Amino acid sequence: MNRWLDRWLTLMLLALLGWAGWSCLHWLWHGADWTVVVTNLPLYAVGSYPDAERWRPLLCIVAVVVLIVITLLGPRHGGWRRSLPLLWSAMAPLGIWLLAGGLGLSPVGTQSWGGFSLTLLLTAGSGLLALPLGVLLALGRRSDLPVLRGGSTAYIELMRAIPLIAVLFFGQLLIPLFLPPGVEINRVLRAVVAFALFAAAYIAEDVRGGLQAIPPTQREAAAVLGLSPWQSLQLVVLPQALRVALPSLTNQAVGLLQNTSLMAILGLVELLGISRSLLANPAFIGRYLEVYIWLAAVYWLACTAMALLARHLEIQLDPVRSAR
Amino acid sequence: MPQMFRRGRFWIQLGVVVALMAFGGLLINNITVNLIRTGLGLDFGWLWRPAGFALAETALPYAPTDSYAWALVIGWMNSLKVILVGLLLATMLGVAAGAARSSRNGLLRSLSGGYVALIRQVPLLLQLLFWYFVAFLGLPDTPVGGLIHVSNQGIRLLGLNLSVEFCSVLTGLVVFTGASIAEIVRGGINAVSRGQWEAFRSLGLSEGLGLRRIVLPQALPAILPALTSQYLNLAKNSTLAIAVGFADLYAVSDTTITQTGRAIEGFLLLLLSFLLLNLLISGGMALMNRAVLGRLQRSR
Repeated sequence: MNRWLDRWLTLMLLALLGWAGWSCLHWLWHGADWTVVVTNLPLYAVGSYPDAERWRPLLCIVAVVVLIVITLLGPRHGGWRRSLPLLWSAMAPLGIWLLAGGLGLSPVGTQSWGGFSLTLLLTAGSGLLALPLGVLLALGRRSDLPVLRGGSTAYIELMRAIPLIAVLFFGQLLIPLFLPPGVEINRVLRAVVAFALFAAAYIAEDVRGGLQAIPPTQREAAAVLGLSPWQSLQLVVLPQALRVALPSLTNQAVGLLQNTSLMAILGLVELLGISRSLLANPAFIGRYLEVYIWLAAVYWLACTAMALLARHLEIQLDPVRSAR
Repeated sequence: MPQMFRRGRFWIQLGVVVALMAFGGLLINNITVNLIRTGLGLDFGWLWRPAGFALAETALPYAPTDSYAWALVIGWMNSLKVILVGLLLATMLGVAAGAARSSRNGLLRSLSGGYVALIRQVPLLLQLLFWYFVAFLGLPDTPVGGLIHVSNQGIRLLGLNLSVEFCSVLTGLVVFTGASIAEIVRGGINAVSRGQWEAFRSLGLSEGLGLRRIVLPQALPAILPALTSQYLNLAKNSTLAIAVGFADLYAVSDTTITQTGRAIEGFLLLLLSFLLLNLLISGGMALMNRAVLGRLQRSR
């Protein structure tokens, strides 16, 4: 490259960065007022959860953070490492029990769930529902049975054609119409179901990609060993396919976490929703930038932690590494 | 054995059909019961009744006395406007940022890397709210050289009036989608073998010319399919415009449904619109794909 052009470009970029940095510093020093963030930290974390019971969602968040830290930075071997999968799978039921109450804890209705704990719950709940549904849809789309194949394909393509906000909105509106009269499910559960139905279509495509990457010889080898088609799917094909699909599934999971913010438009007070109601408070009028920077930092950290965890899982599942 | 196997498959299919029909029948039964209970039947007559709400931004003449159907068409036009301009600008930004990732200038490389890393990990909705409430509503009233006038009422460009809502939706979509396109372009460029770079450099071609004439054309077959799905994402994400009050197709549908209570009909219309939009985008991209591949084959 022309060396003068290169130098000129570097100089221009440095000038631009310097100007941006200077305006940021100026704003931080003279304009920024972080009281809207600092005084409302409990609200961002747990929403309008009853004061006396706030320790429950807080405990949830702390447990997740501790688990993430242990997984990423903890000892590489030993009993801790081996019990991690168990601890992770215990998180979801534990979280729901802590939030909803019952079994010794006083019950708290979903209308008072909120903040980051609700964001986490929406992500985990819909992800856990969507994954098996997505795998089933992917298998259906690759099946030789025309009815199954046609049905799965139609579902996947239709779902992928509509925007998420429409799915969520009509989930809130239409799911009650499809239920027998008298049966009602609450807003949070409706949101989780709509999210899961949406995400399953995308997950199905990623899993299908993974399934396509497994050579047919694997299935043939399993058949020669005397495994039934079901066993070969369960023990040979699916584990490999899911491992291949893991990077794109990670992207879906990060997308799911980000998309829970859409529930703010529909009136759930998760992380973004609670911030919108805070900004409507006359005491914090116009403090948009402070709140948005804080939210961006929280989402960025959460998404990055998720991506790191998935990368960690990829290394753990790497057959070359685990064979050693 | 094959005979028995085939018979087994038949029974499985029959079982699936029966189960699906039973499930579907249950849902249809429930919905009919509920519709009768609430007194709502499937009916599109409301489409021709006057809408009664005003729209801030209309590409064609519109008044609140016009029908719901016409309001939906106006919403369609607004959506189309932001999607088409967004596609164009996001592609330009994405290709520039993606190409910058393989630049020899270290500062440019890390700057574009930082852009991608930051934007992709923050929800689009939050970014849209930032562009609307902080960036565009915070604009000082500044006439820039007479031809361009920037203020928090909108941007006037050579007689073309752009509303603040349109600008923030457009900026948000372009910046967000541009980051994803940059990753795709980077992947495509990386898939072109290093020998190609060395070859054009040793021929004395400049970095920019080599990128445009040698590397990008070879990267295109790998880029185009992923680009299509990003374009579809942009179209779907444009519905978040409702958060900043831009009257796009989804926002108009939402208002219509709230006013008429016709959720199922409104949903069906929205579904049809988006299927049409998806067909348009993927059809256009398929044509382009064929043209690009054809050209590549001819030039070989």
